[in-house]
Amino acid sequence: MTTRLPTRSETASFPALTGRTLRRLNLESLALYAFLCLLALFYLYPLVWMALSSFKLGPDIASRPLSFDLSAATLDNYRLLLRNVPLQIGFQNTLIVLVFKGALTLFFCPLAGFAFAKFRFRGRDSLFSLVLATMMLPPVVMLIPLLLQMGRLGWVNTYQALILPGAVNAFSIFWMRQQIAEVPDELLDAGRVDGCSPWGLHWHIVLPVIRPALAALAILTFLDIYNDFVWPVVAVNTIRMQTLQVMLSDLYNQINNMQVGAVGANAWGQVLAASTLATLPVLALFVALQRHFIHGILSGSLKG
Amino acid sequence: MTALPARPSLGALRRWLGGSFAPYVFIAPFFLLFVAFGLFPLLYALALSFTDWRGVRAPELIGFSNYIFLLTDQAFWESLGNSLYLWLLIVPVQTLFAVLVASLLARPFLRFRWFFRTAYLISYLVPLVAIAQVWKVLFDQDFGALNFALQAAGLSAIGWLTTPAWAKPTLALLVFWKSSGFAILIMLAAIQGIPRELYEAAALDGADGRQQFWQITLPLMRRAIAFYAVIATLAVIQMFAEPYVLTQGGPYMSTTTAGYALNQYMKYLDLGTGAANSFLLTLLVVAVSGIMLRLLRARDED
Repeated sequence: MTTRLPTRSETASFPALTGRTLRRLNLESLALYAFLCLLALFYLYPLVWMALSSFKLGPDIASRPLSFDLSAATLDNYRLLLRNVPLQIGFQNTLIVLVFKGALTLFFCPLAGFAFAKFRFRGRDSLFSLVLATMMLPPVVMLIPLLLQMGRLGWVNTYQALILPGAVNAFSIFWMRQQIAEVPDELLDAGRVDGCSPWGLHWHIVLPVIRPALAALAILTFLDIYNDFVWPVVAVNTIRMQTLQVMLSDLYNQINNMQVGAVGANAWGQVLAASTLATLPVLALFVALQRHFIHGILSGSLKG
Repeated sequence: MTALPARPSLGALRRWLGGSFAPYVFIAPFFLLFVAFGLFPLLYALALSFTDWRGVRAPELIGFSNYIFLLTDQAFWESLGNSLYLWLLIVPVQTLFAVLVASLLARPFLRFRWFFRTAYLISYLVPLVAIAQVWKVLFDQDFGALNFALQAAGLSAIGWLTTPAWAKPTLALLVFWKSSGFAILIMLAAIQGIPRELYEAAALDGADGRQQFWQITLPLMRRAIAFYAVIATLAVIQMFAEPYVLTQGGPYMSTTTAGYALNQYMKYLDLGTGAANSFLLTLLVVAVSGIMLRLLRARDED
């Protein structure tokens, strides 16, 4: 075993560990932690405020936005919300899109990645370049062409419009190809000797080996679909087909229209309650699967 | 190899393709979906961009009129100007900030690093629409928490979302809150990829923390910085959801970005002009990413 090398600050501070340097170091690290904590507050405060305010009545949110009185906490916003707004439809539609679109992504992207990583076939390299080239298409620019296409097919306000575009996407294929390229060829050769078909190789050898990457892909796909807003808001124009995020974006107007003559602040409590509900699944998953999340997001950041 | 059979058979085709049809079957779903929801819609929209079409009657061919209209339309240029303004508010600030915070988080003896990294990343994961609602309430002119605090401190209320001058910074702050945690994560990964020995050697040579940052950390992070600058720039040009949920492009078009400008064409079903605007935007994205990549590559070489 090698002995541990002294780290940077050990070597840097050891020769002159006098009282003055120590004091300076302490002050410095105090400032460092104070800054990092303030920053954490900046990121967390809006979320905490959202959750706490969802237990306050609208007028209270308006008149005392910064204080929270536990004894006055109420579930009224949630009760009214569930009575006034068909939020369960939003959750249900999002769930349907998640299941089907997610399944398509998780099934076909590793499969295509396997083909590109481990097979030699005519046109492979140019086909793969084509896959990469489609990543350059700016998504927002595709909105109007896609909308036109859905109009032609008569698919506006349908699940297939929400599910199919982008279900087998170039980035996921690219990433799966990278991961599958690392699978040792000997494993696949052994499988071939045992008489595995190409599909058998994929199912019995490749997928089990790349399971951590699959988990990361699943998380990334979940986030993408669950938080997706731009395409669903364009593809759908009836409440019946709205996903959760689309419903949430229009909630304030919906509630205000319903309560004729009510102050705008009355709707706030319910909107914040709905926002809290919509945020919970992501937070719960993040807390449960932290390591996978960070791994997945970092790998996902290699998109460019 | 034997001579090719006189008539092409399935077996010969398979051999010519490399021995198996399987890989073609495996990659077929992507290409099917791409043709149906990528290539074909694009060509169709390209054709429509040369017509006057409002979704009801048959499209009427009008040549380049849509493009000429857009290029001489003040609103089109204003949306590009808004995007440029937002770019200035977002990308340089966010990139520098992320490098700074990541270099603090990478300090060797930092405690609670796990907590800080997690706390900073959560904002990146939560749904934009949910947090936009919070923003609307916090930054409300009459009842918002921010103006409440300002007035408690004896200052006057600000129309965060109701005045053109403040709407852009408020929108930029939302984008900053939402995505700077992701930027920090990228920069932190880049710093942690720098070999420790470099710092040890520098410390032996007597370089202090600041010198190490400028001489080692920053130069070796150049790729990560360039990568982030490019994706953040493309995101700003295409920004659509943020103005949609926060300001609907207002007040007075002040937050109508280049991407969000497409929304009004969809709203009023003026899809011929909308398609033309989409293609102008595509040209812009291709040009900007081409220029940025070239600049960054040129700097990489020296």
